[in-house]
Amino acid sequence: MKKSLFDQGYLDEQFCQVEDLQDEASPNFVEEVVTLFFKDSGRLMSNIEQALEKYPRDFNRWDAYMQQLKGSCCSIGASRMKNECMSFRDSCGQGNVEGCMRSFQKVKREHAVLRQKLESYFQLLRQAGPAGAATRPIM
Amino acid sequence: MRPDERKGVVAARRDQFPVGMRVLAVDDDPVCLKVLETLLLRCQYHVSTTNQAAIALKMLRENRDMFDLVISDVHMPDMDGFKLLELVGLEMDLPVIMLSVNGETKTVMKGITHGACDYLLKPVRIEELRNIWQHVVRRKFSTRDRANLDIYEECNKPSNADSDHAHGHVTCGSPDQSGRPSKKRKEYYSEEEDEGEEDNTQETDDPSAPKKPRVVWSVELHRKFVAAVNQLGIDKAVPKRILELMNVEKLTRENVASHLQKYRLYLKRLSAVASQQVSIVAALGGRDPFLHMGAFEGLQGYQAFTSSTSLSSFTPHGLINSPRNNPAAFGTQRVSASKSIQTVTGGHALNHSICDANKYHLSSPGNQQGNLGQGMATSLGQTQMQPKWIQEETDDLSTIFSGNGLANSGMSATLQGVTSSPLLPQELVECTQVKVGSQPSVLTPSVSSGHLEGTVGVSSSLLDPRVSQQTTIPLSEFSASGLPIHGLFNNSCATKLGATSSASTPVHPSDDLLVARDTKAGASSFGSTMLLPPDTEQKYLNFGGGNSFKHKFDERTADSLFDLKFVWSSGLSSQSASNIGAHHSISQRWNNSSSNNSNIGARMIGQPSSSASTVAPHAKSDFLISGDMLVPKNASDLSVPKLQSELSSSSCSFDGLLNSIIKVVRSYHPLVSLPQHPSL
Repeated sequence: MKKSLFDQGYLDEQFCQVEDLQDEASPNFVEEVVTLFFKDSGRLMSNIEQALEKYPRDFNRWDAYMQQLKGSCCSIGASRMKNECMSFRDSCGQGNVEGCMRSFQKVKREHAVLRQKLESYFQLLRQAGPAGAATRPIM
Repeated sequence: MRPDERKGVVAARRDQFPVGMRVLAVDDDPVCLKVLETLLLRCQYHVSTTNQAAIALKMLRENRDMFDLVISDVHMPDMDGFKLLELVGLEMDLPVIMLSVNGETKTVMKGITHGACDYLLKPVRIEELRNIWQHVVRRKFSTRDRANLDIYEECNKPSNADSDHAHGHVTCGSPDQSGRPSKKRKEYYSEEEDEGEEDNTQETDDPSAPKKPRVVWSVELHRKFVAAVNQLGIDKAVPKRILELMNVEKLTRENVASHLQKYRLYLKRLSAVASQQVSIVAALGGRDPFLHMGAFEGLQGYQAFTSSTSLSSFTPHGLINSPRNNPAAFGTQRVSASKSIQTVTGGHALNHSICDANKYHLSSPGNQQGNLGQGMATSLGQTQMQPKWIQEETDDLSTIFSGNGLANSGMSATLQGVTSSPLLPQELVECTQVKVGSQPSVLTPSVSSGHLEGTVGVSSSLLDPRVSQQTTIPLSEFSASGLPIHGLFNNSCATKLGATSSASTPVHPSDDLLVARDTKAGASSFGSTMLLPPDTEQKYLNFGGGNSFKHKFDERTADSLFDLKFVWSSGLSSQSASNIGAHHSISQRWNNSSSNNSNIGARMIGQPSSSASTVAPHAKSDFLISGDMLVPKNASDLSVPKLQSELSSSSCSFDGLLNSIIKVVRSYHPLVSLPQHPSL
């Protein structure tokens, strides 16, 4: 499953790095980080949503928020989501409200998809058992 | 883990640097922060994290030594990453790595210009983090190197780890460098100057690093600074300790470092100026042209100085210069200086400018002239020092300076620059100018050389010749002004010249320069020490503080004049060493003393440079004159010596010097209200 995630571009190399950091000392590191990511990104996205409403055409503000979100995505390797963030920022740069709105929708969608996929992924890991979780999945 | 426990662990790990390097990671993004932390831990660093810049700063401020490196995100909600970067660099001098998802060139450029030692893009890879320890090492090395490049090499052996990394510490005190090529110094000076000026709002030319918060060096603050420096000794005054002693909130080590650098430059300049002044005074033949010199560096009218501390600063300068020439000259110069100061009541502004000017002058030979002129102007104005007396000094000095002859003229020339007064200053300025170039040679014998060493690499040379001239000028100046000093100087000068140390009152041999030196300098132009604190205690001649002077004195036997100068810089310790009592006292005295004493003496003293030493001997006589000035009593003799001692004592305290100078001046000219010690 992981392979498919990579193939489809949901995740990138960074995710592997994060996984590499998991060891005996922190056996659930990846899951912790991912959970943290979704929590934080959810917050950020609602911020952006609010900003889109409350501050129309405030591209700077939107851009700033989106930058934060993009940073998060980068850190865990959520590449598709990251791409959408970038296109959002591009639209901001162009002053394209419509473009921003569209991009943001895409960001939201990617976010939801990724969450789903990763949840499945972790479930699989858990099902594989402690031994399976400790070792790197070869899927 | 409790802090102490952790420290233990950390300490253990740090022995295997880069393993155990202590990193502080700051990022508002929790995901990123967590990943970063783990990556760093994987590199075997010790990591602390926070998602708020404010907390990070707090942690850093609480214990600067707890971290080796800071990694910070650029975009943070509570504080801009660049701002944090600046603050950390300023206050703690730690290497900071910027982190951002934004890799645009301009952003990266911004990071670099703000002082980041590296800029990483998110997502951060572990390979990149494995090498960040190089920044810590690099910074350590460069600090050490910078220290070694201390321009004031002569003054000191920089090796203070904590000295400003930015400016090689200049401990103005070691006379070793007299022969240093001025050119090198000049370059370095300007470089240092730039760096050092950053946080002095009052500094007019402040090209230093961008965006450093400006610290206003008020008189009060500067006083504290000077006191702290004196307490530590100009040689040992490192920003960290100074900061601790000063105990001022919101003052960073960086501010202090920068200020210290400037102060050192100032001291050097003072010595240069002092010598010049002396000659100028002599040349001027007893008028108060120096007073007119108030227009130092464009300062309008000394009048401003009189009350402003700035004058005080100048006087020392001028005196210092003169000391070279005549210790007595200094005295007179001082007197005139004080007078000038009084006249110039320019207030701080003037002082500052003058001081600054002097300071800067000292630092750069070219400038010197300006400074000298200024300093001299003040002093010269007052010092109607008899030309003759000055002559003596000058002779002494000139020999010493070998090339000083030029200096003298240079000095006057500089003075000229400063004031329109036809007085010697011009000569001095010229001399100084000339000297500047040829300085190395000059310094040697004359007191001025000694002085110069400390204060201004370049200027020193200039001073020498100038000093002699200056001394005369000041003397003459004094006479013109009617200062009794004038007479005194002559007499005293003579004596002083002969026996630098003897002249000054019991100048307590301040450890600093002067005392030691003075002996050598013989008639060191301790005149500069004139500014002895208003106390008519002749003892002031102890230029205690003038550590630098001391050095100088030794070198310059004849640099009595310089003594003055040094005294000024180093607190006029120059008094023929013997007198170099407590510079600090002088400077302090000055500081404390009312406007009269305003820091003229202090300033001079401030220049720990060798001038102090030279000044000592002469200082006595000079001080008498000047001292009187400051002190309404006519114990000109007293005053002069006192000044000297004062000067010496306040080795590093310009304030002291200025004060003493002012005092001296004041005594002679009751009307003259010495300016307050300008904050550097």
